[in-house]
Amino acid sequence: MSESTVIGIVGMALVALAIFLFWPRRGWLWRQRQSEEERQRIQVEDALKYLYFCELEQRRPTVAGIAGRMQVPENRAADIVGDLQTLGFATIGPEAIQLTGDGRTYALHIVRAHRLWERHLADETGYAEHEWHGRAEEAEHSMTPAEADALASRLRNPLLDPHGDPIPTATGEMVDERGGAVTVLAPGESGRITHLEDEPEGLYAQLVAEGFYPGMVVQMIDESPERVRVWADGNEQILAPLTASLISVTPLSESETHPIDGGITLADLTSAEAGRILSLSPRCRGVERRRFLDLGFVPGTEVIAEMISPSGEPTAYRVRDTLIALRKNQAGMINIERIPVLSD
Amino acid sequence: MSSATLSQERLTAQEILDQAASLRLQVGDFHEKLVEATYAEAADIADSVVTRPDRARRDSLDQRIDRLVTSRLWGFPLMVLLFAVVFWITISGANVPSSLLMDLLIGQLYPLLHAGADAINLPWWLSGLLIDGMYLATAWVVSVMLPPMAIFFPLFTLLEDFGYLPRVAFNLDNIFRKSGAHGKQALSMMMGFGCNAAAMVSTRVIDSPRERLIAMITNNFALCNGRWPTQILIATLFIGALAPPYLAGLVSALAVVSVAMLGVFLTFVVSWALSRTLLKGEVSAFSLELPPYRPPRIWQTIYTSLIDRTLFVLWRAIVFALPAGAVIWLVSNIHWGGDTLAVHLINLLNPLGLLIGLNGVILLAYVVAIPANEIVIPTILMLTVLTTGMTGVGDGAGVMFELDSTAATMDLFRAGGWTLLTGVNLMLFSLIHNPCSTTIYTMYKESGSRKWTAIAALLPLAMGFFVTFLVAQLWRLFV
Repeated sequence: MSESTVIGIVGMALVALAIFLFWPRRGWLWRQRQSEEERQRIQVEDALKYLYFCELEQRRPTVAGIAGRMQVPENRAADIVGDLQTLGFATIGPEAIQLTGDGRTYALHIVRAHRLWERHLADETGYAEHEWHGRAEEAEHSMTPAEADALASRLRNPLLDPHGDPIPTATGEMVDERGGAVTVLAPGESGRITHLEDEPEGLYAQLVAEGFYPGMVVQMIDESPERVRVWADGNEQILAPLTASLISVTPLSESETHPIDGGITLADLTSAEAGRILSLSPRCRGVERRRFLDLGFVPGTEVIAEMISPSGEPTAYRVRDTLIALRKNQAGMINIERIPVLSD
Repeated sequence: MSSATLSQERLTAQEILDQAASLRLQVGDFHEKLVEATYAEAADIADSVVTRPDRARRDSLDQRIDRLVTSRLWGFPLMVLLFAVVFWITISGANVPSSLLMDLLIGQLYPLLHAGADAINLPWWLSGLLIDGMYLATAWVVSVMLPPMAIFFPLFTLLEDFGYLPRVAFNLDNIFRKSGAHGKQALSMMMGFGCNAAAMVSTRVIDSPRERLIAMITNNFALCNGRWPTQILIATLFIGALAPPYLAGLVSALAVVSVAMLGVFLTFVVSWALSRTLLKGEVSAFSLELPPYRPPRIWQTIYTSLIDRTLFVLWRAIVFALPAGAVIWLVSNIHWGGDTLAVHLINLLNPLGLLIGLNGVILLAYVVAIPANEIVIPTILMLTVLTTGMTGVGDGAGVMFELDSTAATMDLFRAGGWTLLTGVNLMLFSLIHNPCSTTIYTMYKESGSRKWTAIAALLPLAMGFFVTFLVAQLWRLFV
């Protein structure tokens, strides 16, 4: 290789590097600067959210609380509070930090964006449940109020996010459907889960893995300081009191107690057994739910498990004279009652 | 609020809106309940007014067939047998019409065209460009591609029409489920063994968006009809030659089958990886309907599969083969600084080619023969003659050819500096590289997405470079 070739290659590499570093709006330098500004804005927004939730739950907001929640050092948290005051979003009184009207509106927008995005992820994408919260934490900071409105109307103005939390309307109103912790239920009493708190994430993931979801009916067996025992979908679940405190329920009235979800699902049928569909689980959402209804998996319909794939899954079910194959996890979302097989 | 109070007061528009909003908060999310109730009502109405004729007998026949083709004992052997028969009919049936077409289009029409061009004193470069370049490439693609497609597609469509193919998806779904894909991908994969472009269209049966994209992006790993001959030729020349003569056929067949199996393996691995990374946000909703069996409508099936699949794919291939033929001829005939463009390009690509155990000729052939894998080997042969300056072989610069004798082909490869590593890596690269332009274009038409099309084209290419690079380095270390 001649000297001039080497120089040519080195020169081209240098030009490429310069473009990579200094290109306006895309280059490394610009991104660094821009992300510093953005980081500050995101911290302000997160602090607003914290203040808003304190107000809602009637807790006293503190600088230490902000620091703990946002995982920043306390002096950084104090700076953020200072920023909030300068921006006119909060006032620092002798007693406490308080949101101003503007601050509350801003915070509500962030909460709205977050919960709308979770709704969107649940209904319109294939992301797994444990990813919704983290993704919404990012998306909430890059949505303008106009975009939030457009998203809301596309989703047909939902009132609740997939965790059962109310979504504020554009004017800041929302349903109050929180209910109480699962421990308000007396032994033997049933309640419908209205909300699963998605923080701390580890405990939330555990609840999801155990099969809890908003809309599910649970029945209290008993509770002690060490553990809480409930019936859920026909299984006995034993929870630590801290984990149980993430579950909010509203007690069911007498008339609602039957039919209770759970018991058995389509997945429990083996070959040549029959059942009648009671309901589709609320875990089954969006496209999948519509598909089920399209295919005829409608409450009241009779279903026969006709054959099982030689590889173990899926199982083909006869529904309204057609054969439809469903995988196990899908069949598990269709609640049924057993009926005797009709003889041919 | 009662209707009496409503009618007495005069509400402003704002008050009405406020009231509606507060009532909505009380009612809650009712869309899903509404939809469910609508469906339940529709089902009720249908049950009360539709009478169903006695169909018990047909059902029991259907059930008997289903029990057989999905049974633990017979399900898989039957499937393997049926597809083996389909492939055997395709391969053995395509040979004769293929060589007839080759003889007609290239053996007879091609010299005739040249004679005609000479008669009207067409300048050499124009007749070269039109006849040696564009016509020859197109004729080649047609005669190699048409017969197998015209046999394979109707057979496949017959199985589909009969209702058997959904049962294959049903049998195999569990394996595909574990890699995040849909059982019906088994069908598009099978179709891919015939033609990847047609397989792109066949992924329409997968109605779940994520799984359909997975099927499209990984389809290239199903070794298509255009690549089988390359595999067989190279396996015979390089791998079969390693074994004693009486085992040569078996060994080379095993080599080809292993490459095809490697493709199946890669399909699962890449599907698995895609469904957990790039595609995890796409909507996924599995459903698989198993329609009742019905006697296939043979003539209608043959007609529609010829029109919809065979001619459709062939037309797209021709559209891409014409310019490619021109490019192939031009790069071999345009001189620049004493050498042809092809030689310059080959010298440029040679370092990269040698790095990954191939050479510049092979890489250039893959670039210019992007419309169809069928013309890769003829282009390689022509370019090898061009660069080595061999005389007495081939038909001149820019004119693709194939040799009747494998020994002569091997001599040519030796002159081009090929080793066993070149052969092995060519087999690997032929399996793992970008899909042909016909397939890429079809994927774009089907998915409507530049992004996913680009990924489908570039991902296998990057993987191909990686795999051949790795093999070449290990080879040089240990062999």
